[in-house]
Amino acid sequence: MRPFFELLKKIIHTGIGRSRFLMASVGLGIAMLLILVAIQVHSNFNQLLYSTKNQNETADFLVINKKITNAMMGQNDKSAFSQAEIDHIKAQPFVQAFGLITSSRFRVVVQAPGDLHFATDMFFESVPDGFLDVKGEDWKWTNGERIIPIILPSDFLNLYNFGFSLSQGLPQISQETVKALPLQVVISGNTGSEQFIGRVAGFSDRISSFLVPASFMNWANEKYGTTREAPTSRVIIKTPDPSNPTLVKFLDDNGYTTNQDKLKFSKTRLIVQTIVSVIGFFGLILLFFAMLVFSMFIQLIIASCKKEIQLLVMLGTAPGQLKRYLLKQFVPLYIIIGVVCLLLLTALQCGTAAILAKHDMAVSPWPGAGVFAGTVLVLGLVYLVNLLTVNRYVNKES
Amino acid sequence: MQIQIQHLMPIPLKDKLLQRTSGIWNQDVTFSPGSFVKIKAPSGTGKTTLVHYLYHIRYDYTGTVLVDNRPWPAYNKNELATMRQQHISVIFQDLRLFEQLTAAENIHLKRVMLPNPHCSEDKIQDMAARLNVTHVLQQSSKTLSYGERQRIAIIRALSQPFQWLLMDEPFSHLDEENTRRAAALIAEECKARNAGFILTDLDNDQHFSYDVHYQL
Repeated sequence: MRPFFELLKKIIHTGIGRSRFLMASVGLGIAMLLILVAIQVHSNFNQLLYSTKNQNETADFLVINKKITNAMMGQNDKSAFSQAEIDHIKAQPFVQAFGLITSSRFRVVVQAPGDLHFATDMFFESVPDGFLDVKGEDWKWTNGERIIPIILPSDFLNLYNFGFSLSQGLPQISQETVKALPLQVVISGNTGSEQFIGRVAGFSDRISSFLVPASFMNWANEKYGTTREAPTSRVIIKTPDPSNPTLVKFLDDNGYTTNQDKLKFSKTRLIVQTIVSVIGFFGLILLFFAMLVFSMFIQLIIASCKKEIQLLVMLGTAPGQLKRYLLKQFVPLYIIIGVVCLLLLTALQCGTAAILAKHDMAVSPWPGAGVFAGTVLVLGLVYLVNLLTVNRYVNKES
Repeated sequence: MQIQIQHLMPIPLKDKLLQRTSGIWNQDVTFSPGSFVKIKAPSGTGKTTLVHYLYHIRYDYTGTVLVDNRPWPAYNKNELATMRQQHISVIFQDLRLFEQLTAAENIHLKRVMLPNPHCSEDKIQDMAARLNVTHVLQQSSKTLSYGERQRIAIIRALSQPFQWLLMDEPFSHLDEENTRRAAALIAEECKARNAGFILTDLDNDQHFSYDVHYQL
């Protein structure tokens, strides 16, 4: 086939409008680069959010409750989750783990030991152990034990140390001291009361509540519970990405609320996603125009060699031979553009990875599979459009 | 391979041709494989038109042209290309060489159109030598005389495999000596392929030992 194509080169001049063709090629290159950058940024974002290397930054626990509005004040059951609502939350794709927060249905009074003269009414809650950020040997309770491990919110001690104690002239207390203090815990219900010793096992940043082991909670609710079954008004979920916009939307749509601070990243992410989408969109537009110019260019070549093509066909040249020849004039260039774009993107990605690494954010220094798939897809699309154009106009002339 | 025409009639010449009798137009004629056919035709009776119909590059006719018992329109573009590459060769009256190619390239174009060329390059050189055009092979076909071009067109037609060779006044610009040489070469190549030819011309001639004569 080669010597035949050599001769065709002299008959069908593809040099016509070369500068326009080169400009379209540059356009294709830029379009491809924009599309690939959009794909890669998206993949980088996913790596930052979901890869195990960055896990500590993002995977998070959210305590979700219903918004208390003026309309539902005084109607406690309205703030409770029904079974259907719980199932609905569990079914969401962003929920990795789900736990109910069980509240105490008995009265709790806690007294500080010795001459601290501190006593308060309190409540307990419990969550499944998997949701706790405080783990330790002490965190267990079996029936009959007099000592109950308790987890306090970190904020609680901070409120005392930096708010209350200073203004009241009381001593500030360290976490260690609190852990060492035995607290007198009296729980009571309709059937009597019982005294325990509470030991603070740790401080949680995750859940703002007074937590006891689930085994104790179940036992105490059973024995001293004043109501049959307390409705669930708070649930805890583990989500890989609290900034996930679908999560935020889900909460808004259902009138749920959670710690807003944990969701603020979502807005940043939305902005970045928008920008990336716009870049990708411009890439697509540019790609469209590049393909348009290519098509017109092919059309121009075929139209300007109409007589020659007709004579070639008259002499027995198969339309397939002409199509192969014409495509061969363009396809190598597309492949070169694709390779150059990939190389550029690899360089960009290496640079990005190096810069991010300085900020302790790990992304792969190599372009992701999506980028290669994108290159193949764009090249495939351009090839297809070329093929269709060549087919159409060669068939018209032959 | 058999070429057959049935009630073939050119639409533009219809009125004119219906007033005279013809051995071809509006007749059933079968050209049997391997036969040397001469069609004698006065000017304006559709000689070139007939060749174009037989080669299927003009379609303004009524009736049918059957090739291998199939009418031309039943062939698709690829089959048509195969026919023209391997089964039917042609020498146009107006030659139809590519002016942007040299004489040799015009011949090679046809030769290498097939992935496995039928003729060797030496064979082309031989034919060129026999027709006295070796010296013009490397010239642009634009600069050749009509007679030289005619011989290049003949060599081009002979550089491919064929079962039928269509010729439209192939010797119109050749002197007697060159005509004799060209005719001998064509006859030889046709015999070598067991191929036949259909030649149209204005007058009677003795260039070949024709099997059949027709009056257009």
